[in-house]
Amino acid sequence: MRDPEFKIKNFKEIFSTNQKAKELALRGTAPWTVIAAEKQIAGYGKEKVSWFSPQGGLYFSIILPKSKIEDLQTLTILAAFIVAKTINDNFSLETLIKLPNDVLLNQKKVAGVLTENIIGKDVRLSVLGIGLNTNIEKFPKELENRATSLKIELGRELNNKKILKKIFKELKEQLKTISE
Amino acid sequence: MKLKLKIKGKEREVEILEEGEDKVKIKVGEKEFIFGKEKEKKGISLIQTSIPRRDFSKKEIKAPIAGVISEIFVKEGDFVKREQKILSLSTMKMENEIVSDFDGKVKKFLVKKNQEVKEGETLIVLE
Repeated sequence: MRDPEFKIKNFKEIFSTNQKAKELALRGTAPWTVIAAEKQIAGYGKEKVSWFSPQGGLYFSIILPKSKIEDLQTLTILAAFIVAKTINDNFSLETLIKLPNDVLLNQKKVAGVLTENIIGKDVRLSVLGIGLNTNIEKFPKELENRATSLKIELGRELNNKKILKKIFKELKEQLKTISE
Repeated sequence: MKLKLKIKGKEREVEILEEGEDKVKIKVGEKEFIFGKEKEKKGISLIQTSIPRRDFSKKEIKAPIAGVISEIFVKEGDFVKREQKILSLSTMKMENEIVSDFDGKVKKFLVKKNQEVKEGETLIVLE
């Protein structure tokens, strides 16, 4: 069923969904808007370490409503749990969370979460970015031993949009519980 | 209530009278001024906006959260504007861009790249 509250901006190719989300949030795009891309040219994770983002993976950022900074810290960890739980529940795989923000499968990274804030006197804006290796068939040599994808683990193609919606719904629910 | 006030160097008799609900009549010499509640409010806001606001509090930017300074975008002597990006602060779980709360010149930078800072620690001082 179509969810009227689910607003998404899809991009074929983007530098980084978090960057775009920040730009859009600064220009007034509403909270809970999702920015998704099929491919990131300059995707990054914690401490600006690059995140391999070829076609096939699921890359998206969510513009968050204004929250207290301590809530956002909790949400980042929670987001990693939600991604892990979504994988476990839907694909019968056993994930492991590498705190604070990575999800591992067979000791290899399958997903990462990065929350970015702009803060002045208070939190001006926050975006939460998720990179999930869904339909990536092969990783470059330097990543082969450190990264995996759901397709590699399951041997089948997955529906990125469905996974995104599941994670989004759960995150929205959880933010309600910690903010209200 | 009658008062004697010096207005522009001239002593004048001022009389304050009630004029119905929420209205006050002020007589200055022969002239009469009636102020209603609304007019009073407008008068006050006019005064506030016409006086240039001066911030006498210290222009300091503090760390909103504990973390490590990952990037610095301005240097001492630079003029920064309100909302301008000053530095990036990495925490275990988040990347935070710290923007200035004030317009001003960077007087002192109290932190360096890769330095750990505590919540509330002063990062830079503006003047």
